[in-house]
Amino acid sequence: MEKILEKKRIDDWIKALSDWEVHAPALQDGIWTYQPVSGAIRLDHPNTNQSPKGFAFPQREIFFSFEQIKGEPPKLKQVLPKTPQHAVFGVRPCDGRGVPRMDKVFNDHVEDPYYNARRKNVAYVGLACNKPPSPNCFCLSVGGSPVSTDGLDVQLTDMGDRYFVKAITEAGKALMKAADGMFSDPSAAEQKQLKQVHAEAVAHPQRKVNDPDGAPAKLKANFNSPLWEEMARACIGCGICTFLCPTCHCFDINDEVQNKAPLKGQRVRTWDNCQFPDFTMHSSGHNPRENTGARLRQRVNHKFQYFHENFGMHQCTGCGRCITGCPVGIDIVTVVNKVTEHAG
Amino acid sequence: MINLQDIRDTARDMLAKGEVRTVIGYRRGTRGMLAEPAFITDPAQADDLVWNPTCFHNLSLYLVEDRKFLAHLRQNPGAPIGIVAKGCDARSIVVLMQEHYFKREDVYIIGVSCEGTGVVDERKLAPHLNGFQASDAVFDGDDFVFTTAQGEKRLPAREVMADRCLECRIPFPKEHNLVFGEDKTGRQLAEPFAALKRFEAQEGGDRWNFWSHHFDRCIRCFACRSVCPMCYCDECVVDSITFPVTSETSAEEKANRIRWIERSATRSENITYLMTRAMHLAGRCTDCGECERACPVNVPIRLLNNKMEREAREKFGFEPGASIGGPSLVASFLDNDPGDFIR
Amino acid sequence: MPDNIYLPQLARVAYIKDEVYGERAIKTFRVEPVDGKLFDHECGQCAMLSIFGRGESMISIASSPLIREYKQFSIMKVGRVSSAFHELEVGDVIGIRGPYGNSFPVDDWRGKNLYFIGGGCGLAPIWPVITTAVAQRDYFKNITVFYGGRTSRDIMYRTELEKLRDSVDVHLSIDKAEEGWEGYCGFVPAAVMDKDPNPGNAIAITCGPPIMIKFVIQNLNKLGFKDEQIYTTIENKMKCGIGKCGRCNVGKDYVCVKGPVYSWAELKHLPEEY
Repeated sequence: MEKILEKKRIDDWIKALSDWEVHAPALQDGIWTYQPVSGAIRLDHPNTNQSPKGFAFPQREIFFSFEQIKGEPPKLKQVLPKTPQHAVFGVRPCDGRGVPRMDKVFNDHVEDPYYNARRKNVAYVGLACNKPPSPNCFCLSVGGSPVSTDGLDVQLTDMGDRYFVKAITEAGKALMKAADGMFSDPSAAEQKQLKQVHAEAVAHPQRKVNDPDGAPAKLKANFNSPLWEEMARACIGCGICTFLCPTCHCFDINDEVQNKAPLKGQRVRTWDNCQFPDFTMHSSGHNPRENTGARLRQRVNHKFQYFHENFGMHQCTGCGRCITGCPVGIDIVTVVNKVTEHAG
Repeated sequence: MINLQDIRDTARDMLAKGEVRTVIGYRRGTRGMLAEPAFITDPAQADDLVWNPTCFHNLSLYLVEDRKFLAHLRQNPGAPIGIVAKGCDARSIVVLMQEHYFKREDVYIIGVSCEGTGVVDERKLAPHLNGFQASDAVFDGDDFVFTTAQGEKRLPAREVMADRCLECRIPFPKEHNLVFGEDKTGRQLAEPFAALKRFEAQEGGDRWNFWSHHFDRCIRCFACRSVCPMCYCDECVVDSITFPVTSETSAEEKANRIRWIERSATRSENITYLMTRAMHLAGRCTDCGECERACPVNVPIRLLNNKMEREAREKFGFEPGASIGGPSLVASFLDNDPGDFIR
Repeated sequence: MPDNIYLPQLARVAYIKDEVYGERAIKTFRVEPVDGKLFDHECGQCAMLSIFGRGESMISIASSPLIREYKQFSIMKVGRVSSAFHELEVGDVIGIRGPYGNSFPVDDWRGKNLYFIGGGCGLAPIWPVITTAVAQRDYFKNITVFYGGRTSRDIMYRTELEKLRDSVDVHLSIDKAEEGWEGYCGFVPAAVMDKDPNPGNAIAITCGPPIMIKFVIQNLNKLGFKDEQIYTTIENKMKCGIGKCGRCNVGKDYVCVKGPVYSWAELKHLPEEY
């Protein structure tokens, strides 16, 4: 389904989506974040500070609650998320491509009921990038594109005073049907303009991972390279790179106790991070990834080798958040290029 | 004006003569104009060093890392480590020495004066560049000059400088082995604690709303703690990700370790984390502002630290990092210390 | 597998035995389902055990799959969850979910000589294989168990090992000589060399401290065992058990899914991140 929507009518479209909870990027506290829409939206954001992964994989998820009176068996109460239907507007193509990657992780081998319960109620309304929204964008070199529709339910393309609106999935069609009368059919000239806008978008220069196809084998060959420690020399071991990433999925599970006797608490999943020192530390104190070099290697290899070996695609979608966010200049593009250009 | 070549020449000579084993400084990064920490050991690499308005980092953090690494290897430091330090950075080094983290002779401080300016705040700069990214930034007197695809952009430094630099009272590394640039102590670009004052002008309820809002936003990536040279504890009481366990740590110790905060980034846990950190920095924080710069979600962490800093200054006349031999705030008692704060 | 993989089933502790006392205390627990039945498992698989309010821990199942009534676990007191296990009493209720991981290809080993080489608490993960092989004694040729502890007080499953002697060669060892000790004195890898096992038509299964495994494998290679004939298990920190939480990977594989059992032929090609 392909339609034209006048830009000034986007708020009317959103108003018509009464069956959905609509979120869109808003500038607050100096950063762009997804916020529930109340009133007018603007889709002129660069990219959001955090990826939209939290809609299906929130930073904190309660698995179940438990209660136990001493001497009696514990009582467990399963808490599966019951979320309303979400429509997330303004999702950039890189973040769209993050969605199928997260779907794979949470459904490969065993299905994750919490992720899926949320995921089935989220529709992603993407916005093509007419020009790279960040100086650290590199989607083209990791198999993506500023006009990719992968993972999106609807794709919007900014054509001046109009959006070219394309439904990608059934969920996307439903969003458009909810406001049927607002859209018009694209003319031949508008179809032509779309092609031109997309062609220009793809032609914009971006940063580049030089050898994405060779990366898995080369990273594997350079596993023991001294480059890792050298490149991680400045790493402070914080969680910015992975918390902002659209495809980082690592998590921790902990019991949070609200009351000791009688015991009352919740088992909770929270985002975790391969850059934290205790991430892989055994109870004995032995740590298979003891230093920042080994941890940087894990992050990069996971994105560009392990995931590729498991699923046939790079996990990194080239959004550049980890580069922009790093307080000490660790740059995944530079890292991958250095390692792949290093004679193993 | 500082001549960059002088810094490079100094680093090269000292490395070549073996007077320092490493020079920790700044080099050009690969993300636009930004500098990044550099660890120079080869005299031939000394020309990588840069000095420009994006040299934000408080590199004394890496002196702490170096010390931990040496302890891990059970090695003595040998030759001192050279470090490029701004005024605030040098004061951090002094605090670390006051706390006996390392000795004066272990460090060779290559001081750099911020003179009339300081470092740029990228968030303030962005609106001036019309969406373009600067590929270079240089000091030029009271201006910063940026290079973008549109050409050169000259801006008065004070328009795009970090608050911490505007409010800085001593933009000069008093403690140094060698120093470049003029001492412009006494310059006043903004009133000290100006940002804090603006915040405090609000009503109590508004202040609580302000902080509740920000405490809710913290994602607990621990960047503020990780980037802070003063947060050197092997085990941070309020951060669950550091817990040094060795083969000697008993099961009891591990089992009984108190978790002051949960892993969840919820308001109560974030308050405990951020407030405890601020308390632990009282009299130690030299307002390098790195915690606030590193924060990926713009929590105004500096306000918390500034508050403690101002209390120390107004109540006790205390200036963190003023002198190596001087007393530390919380480990010293003077007869004339005020008592009103515990009433 | 149940719909919600993260929701544990309740199980009651039916039996507790102190195996080893002191700093590296080990206790054995048998747990039975509170309702219904527990999952079936294979030799070498693990289960995620919970003590509510304390957390979860991945523990290898030490009982044979042939035993359906209960699952057995031998747990060394090392950290937060395992210490809580050591405070349990018979009748207490815990959580259990699983089974996780791959298993020893025991059926492929029929008609072969089996050598089990364990050290410390490393006897527990291979115990289901030993007991299954003994229960199906006719399927296998010679079965030999080498097992060592630091001292005689560190030897677990003492009574059970003595019972095995009817149908299996059992060689016990301790690191340093002690009065009254009749077995071998010295490290486990040396104890193996001492008996000079024959690699012909044989499989060697080893589990124990990493340093022991390393030298056992070196010695087995010296004796002529091929890498394909040597099996071991590895461990890593785990949270989910289903390859999602992202921490137990060695290279592209999550140990909780593709491990913990590896032949040395496979394992030696993996990065040493365990």
